Formats: sequence, C-alpha cells, structure tokens
Amino acid sequence: MNTTYYLMEVRRVVRDFLGLFFTAVLPAFLYVIFGASQDYSQEMLPTGKGNVAFYMMVSMAVYGAVTATTSIGGMAAVERMQGWGRQLGLTPMRDAQYVLVKAVLGLSVALIPVALIYVLGVVTGAQGQGYLWALTALLVLLGAGLFSLYGLVFGLAFKTEGAVSAASGSLVILAFLGNLFFPLSGAMLAVAKLTPLYGIVALARYPVTDGWLISADGTAPVHEPLWIPVVNVTVWLVILATLATLLVRKGRGRQ
Amino acid sequence: MTSTAEPALDLAGVTKTFTPVGGDRVEAVRGIDLTIGRGEIVAFLGPNGAGKTTTLDMALGLTEPTSGTVRVYGQGARAAVLGGKVSAVLQSGGLLHDLSVRETVQVIASAYRAALPVDEAIERAGLTAIAGRRVSKCSGGEQQRLRFALALLPDPDLLILDEPTAGMDVGARHEFWATMRSEVSEGRTVVFATHYLEEADTFAERIVMMARGEVVADGPTTEIRARATGRTVTATLPPHRLEAAVQRLRATGSVTDVTTAGDRITIHAGDSDAVALLLLSELGGTGLEITTGSLDEAFLALTSGADRR
Repeated sequence: MNTTYYLMEVRRVVRDFLGLFFTAVLPAFLYVIFGASQDYSQEMLPTGKGNVAFYMMVSMAVYGAVTATTSIGGMAAVERMQGWGRQLGLTPMRDAQYVLVKAVLGLSVALIPVALIYVLGVVTGAQGQGYLWALTALLVLLGAGLFSLYGLVFGLAFKTEGAVSAASGSLVILAFLGNLFFPLSGAMLAVAKLTPLYGIVALARYPVTDGWLISADGTAPVHEPLWIPVVNVTVWLVILATLATLLVRKGRGRQ
Repeated sequence: MTSTAEPALDLAGVTKTFTPVGGDRVEAVRGIDLTIGRGEIVAFLGPNGAGKTTTLDMALGLTEPTSGTVRVYGQGARAAVLGGKVSAVLQSGGLLHDLSVRETVQVIASAYRAALPVDEAIERAGLTAIAGRRVSKCSGGEQQRLRFALALLPDPDLLILDEPTAGMDVGARHEFWATMRSEVSEGRTVVFATHYLEEADTFAERIVMMARGEVVADGPTTEIRARATGRTVTATLPPHRLEAAVQRLRATGSVTDVTTAGDRITIHAGDSDAVALLLLSELGGTGLEITTGSLDEAFLALTSGADRR
C-alpha cells in the first residue's frame, strides 16, 4: 500500500475537528446518555451473556463507525469528480491502489469511535463475556464497510461536499429506523427490518443477543431468526453496489 | 522499445465523440493528424470548444479516442504516463484544498516509482516561500505553479499544459511563463493549449490552430500570426461584376478568405490596404468597411475556409 498517501489522509482526518466530533465524540456521548447513565443499563440481557450497557455500547459503536465510513466513502467520490481523479490519472497510481488506501482509511477512522466507546464501556460497567468484546467490534467494523458504499452513492449522485454531509446526517434517521437508538416494537419494528442499518446493528449485537430482541415497554422478548438480518445486509449490499456501479458508468460516459 | 526516431507525439486519424446523458452526440474531435517532434514547443490555439482539451486528454491517456491512434514516444498514452515520459498541468480543479503545498507534492510524488526530490520540484516551480501554505489559501497563480511542480515530478520528456494561465492576472501570467522558460531550455518537448494569441506568439515556435474539432492551420508562429491578425474588408459590388471580383480577390496574395452574401462581399486579408484599393478602383466597390476581427472571428474565418476546401 502507498503509506505516504495513507498517512496524509490520516492527517486530513485528524485536522477536521468538526468531522471527528460527529464521528467519535457524538456517538460516545449518546452511549453515555442512552446507555451507561440509565438505571436499566446494568440489567442482564435475556441470554445472560451481557448487560444492557454492553448492548447499547455495540449499537452506538455501529452508529459512530458508519458515520466514519459514510463520510470517507462520500468524500472519495466527490474528490475524484472535482478533478483530483484527473490529477491521479496523470500518475502511475492505479485505481485499485487508490481504493485500497481509502478502504484502509475508512476502517482506521471507523476504529476511532469503536475504540472510544468500548473504553467508555469498560469504565461505565458494560458487561459481556470476554470474547464478545472482540467479536462484536469486528462485526461493527465489517458492517461499517457496507456504509462506505452508502456514502459513495451519495457522493457520486450529487457531487458536492454538502451532499456527503447530508448523507452523514441522514444516518440519525436511519439509526432510529434501524432499531439502533432504542428498541422498537409493533409496526415500527416491521418497517425497521427493511431499512439499511437494521441488519448491520442486529448482526453486530447477535453474539450477545442470540437473536432475542429486547423491548422498551416491558413485554416479553421476541426471538428473531438469524436469516432476517443476513438477508437485510445482503439485499442492501446488492442495492448499494449496483447503484454505485451504475453511477460510476454514468460519470464515465459524461467525461 | 522506442527508437530515438519516434516523435514525441503522433496523432493519426484521431476522432472523439461523446454522447452526454439525455443529449445529442457531440463530435469534440473530428479527425486530427498531427506529429510533434522532440524538443518542439507547440501551442494549441483555438476558441473554447475547439477540442483542445479533448485532444490533450487523449495524449495523456485520460480519454480513449473513438477512432484513430495516439502514440507518445512510440508507446500508447497510458504506457507513456506509467513510464513518467509525459506529464501535464491541467485546467482548474484537481487539488485537495485542505492539504499544504508541500503535502500535495509529497502525495503525488509517492505515486511514482522514481520522482524528483519533493524540495527540488517545489523550488523549480518557485514555491519554496509558500511550501507550508494550505492550497485553499493559495491564489490562482500559486495553485497553477503547484500543478506545475506536480508535473515536474516524473522529470518528463513531454510536458503538456492545458490553458495554464487561465484566470491569472497579467503579472501572474508573466511570472508563470518566466518559470516555464527555464524548464524548457533543458530540451523538453512542450505542448500547451491557450486562447491567448500573445502567449502562443511569445512562447511557441509552432502553432496548431484548432476550431470545431479540427486543425485549421498548422505552421511556424510567424506565419499563423499573420493569418490570425489580418483584417476583414467588406464592400458592395455591382451584381454583374461579383463573380469576376471573387476570382480576382482569391488570386490575390494576402487574401485568406472570400465570401459573398447578396451583392455584399467579405474578404479576410493580411494586407487590407491593398484589398481596399483594389475594391475601390478596379472592381467598382462602394460602401467599404474595414474591421480588425477578434481572434474568435479569425478562427471562424479559418474554419469556414477549411470546410469549403
């Protein structure tokens, strides 16, 4: 990998304080508000593998990680279309090398909120079996990779930095709809299962929930089979990858 | 391998057609045959939309021609880029605003297997004093010199500049060309696109004039300059003498173009005084007007001439 280019990209991210705030500090803050500081945070989940604080910790880590990958993916698209792609096209750097740098960058930046929130989890009494910390963190990062495509699609379609900010902002809505911030039930839950963040969050939490959905209104937990979040992630992967491919082709035809 | 006899740039029957989404087909380049030898300094001169940028993009492998072949030092354009034989200063855009000047040079240098030292490229482009400055805080002229520093990194044999001074004020333009001049004395081949006639005039040895996707004139700078800076003479002639007058004028040395509309005749010529004299005396013309055409009009005159040939 081109480490000079990678390190320069890391410096750009570090310099962007506002971006870093929304990526890392805001989700960590939300974890403290919705998770750690609540009375119910020390209650154990139906599986007994971890407590509610752990559940909220994984959820907010997903939110922070997808915010990071969405903005990295979106900015990559906008940068390329604003002429940086032409500048790189004049060098021997191949597209694959560029994609590799941006992919590793997306994962690195996604790691910032995940690490921050997991450290807060340790400090504020999130409990889970040892291997679950590593396994859920890995699933969070893998799921966040899908959202670099979400950012890419916005960037390719609207071509402005504002559109990328809008894409990051839309994640708040998707997070509510995706059963991420607090447990949904009834019709809202049925709709939630169709939205793009639902599958990623459900899969990241799966090792600790075993598919048992917790409820906010005190009713008995409901079990959800594994195939539902798997199908959700697969379908959204296909949709976003197809859109990104079509938009790249359309962009080429226009040059 | 390339032999030493290979020209720097060789275009044969090159065309490029675009079909924008939901738009009509655009023939940006309509058949160009052009050879540029090693060490030549050539200006592509033409109005906006003449196909200059598209032609240069094909020479850089950024776009594939629809038909025809592009050879750079005997290789395909992309191969020449990979080998560091050709590089370019592109039109506006293409820089990351949150990087500094030095960081930008470092990033692009990292893309090459062998590049000039970063500090050397910065110095040669005259950027040492502002190397730490953010790109967003650089003036248009400074950004253009940064693009120039990036183009120097592979130490190219062929340097392509696409309207390098567009949007610069007069002072910045002079400064840019002064920097360029010292680089060119090293025996590089330089091809630049411009729509400033005086730039082509002071810097290039040869001018390739383009209009509507075609080469409409190609020759030493002095010759092209005479054609582009001629004047337009119009007059009204008695209808029965029109045909003979057109023949007579076409045979006159400095005349580059003759057209008629009704009984009004329009002549483009280098020596407008001689044409005016001829019209008023021998040919019986009345209502004579002489105008100095803009460069765009000169291009248009040359294109319509090419169409009729």
